Amino acid sequence: MTDSLTFMMGKYEARIPLDRSYSENHLWLQRCDDRFRVGFTAYSVRLLQDVYFLDWSIDAGTDVKQRKEIGEIESSKALSSLYAPYDGRVLDFNESLLDDPSAINTDNYGQGWLFHFQTEAPLLEPQQYIELLEGGWEETQRLLKGQMN
Amino acid sequence: MAAKKVTVVISQGQGKNPVQRQLEEEIAAALIMQPDVDVSLVPHLYDMSGDHTGLLFLRSVPGNLVVLSWLYPRAARWTLARQGVCGHEGVTLLKSEDEDDEELETESDETQEARGIGSRDVPNRKLYFLDLRGHATAEPYLDEIRRIADEQSVQTIDLMQWISGKPKAEQLERYLHPERLLSTGAANGNGNGQESSPTNGNGQSDVPEPVKRRWYPVIDYSRCTNCMECIDFCLFGVYGVDSLDTILVEQQDNCKKGCPACSRVCPENAIMFPGHKTPAIAGADGEIAGLKIDLSKLFGAPDGLAAAVAERDVELVADGRDAVGMTVGIPKRQSTKPPQQRDELDDLMDSLDNVVL
Repeated sequence: MTDSLTFMMGKYEARIPLDRSYSENHLWLQRCDDRFRVGFTAYSVRLLQDVYFLDWSIDAGTDVKQRKEIGEIESSKALSSLYAPYDGRVLDFNESLLDDPSAINTDNYGQGWLFHFQTEAPLLEPQQYIELLEGGWEETQRLLKGQMN
Repeated sequence: MAAKKVTVVISQGQGKNPVQRQLEEEIAAALIMQPDVDVSLVPHLYDMSGDHTGLLFLRSVPGNLVVLSWLYPRAARWTLARQGVCGHEGVTLLKSEDEDDEELETESDETQEARGIGSRDVPNRKLYFLDLRGHATAEPYLDEIRRIADEQSVQTIDLMQWISGKPKAEQLERYLHPERLLSTGAANGNGNGQESSPTNGNGQSDVPEPVKRRWYPVIDYSRCTNCMECIDFCLFGVYGVDSLDTILVEQQDNCKKGCPACSRVCPENAIMFPGHKTPAIAGADGEIAGLKIDLSKLFGAPDGLAAAVAERDVELVADGRDAVGMTVGIPKRQSTKPPQQRDELDDLMDSLDNVVL
């Protein structure tokens, strides 16, 4: 197992591996050649819990702006839209998740990757992502409790 | 006439979804056999105009009322309240199928104090709202309705009022011949693949009239503080005030279909659009309802105000008017707040705000 940082969500330890970068919308990005492989962080997965359904609303090869809506996810706890982590291009999706998204839960940093992405944007380092989590935890709890829109 | 009857109203789904129709019909067919229950079918609560016979009927029910609809209970309750069908909230023990107790560890646990202005002249009776989306089969609903019926005492005052009053002919008809209500519907429910007719009946007067789909805000007055931010924000003249300066939805058909912008700017989450896909906007009761949470914001959705402004601009442009962006009717709630020391979260939020969309 690679080295990682840990963020405490209540009693749950969310593992943040050091071998990759992150985005503010709780995705990890790991470089492979000219592209990044993108997936949910342990923080996202803990909040989602069991993923039932994943659907992409854009085609592979689409240029996107940061925060552009790109898909939807349904889990035992949540129903959410998904958004592009940065300006860039979504190259292709992890097809195996479309039939059975359970790898998102069982191996979110490995087999449960979501899509390949090209971007020039500066990404968050693991430590920066941890700081973002620390700063946002109160807010997230309020989101969970109050469902503010 | 010793025992008091409980009135059950089934509000039909908006579409012609055969699964929905079958559940409605199954429940109705079972309740017709029940002596202490008086069952009626009406179109979707949200879509009926004020003078629709379904609403006239609902207003004429004097006693306790059980309403089954494809809506969140809070949305159903305030949709009806707006039409003059009020009562105290009856406690239902019905939970949705996937409801469980597992919750993430959260630290603070302040209970929300009631800050809303409330509604006036609430009659002394109970309304129970059951969400038809919670279960796929009729049984849990029937059990709950039987429980509510049993709970009713044998006091007959309300019924006597009804009898000594002047029930309308159709109301009496419904009361005396409930079996006619569903004769066609029940036949369709036998899985013969036949399409249910849109009126779901046999052309008699008690058949629900077809209604058009509508779109308008519904105010939850238990939350509304009369702050007027919605009336400032909406530029389409939907909102108004009554003679006591209480906010109300005055011109509901001025509302722009699909636009939930005022709901997003409401600081109390008091404005619902029952047909919106986001549970918080459609009237979900947060965690209590055991329904799914929306993590979109966490995954990068634009914040509520930005979304509201964008939605409003789209509708303005569609009307041939100019987009106004952030220049008009933006919530002033920050101005009354005492200044606070900046902290890391402020810096973080600012850095998020500066992100170019």
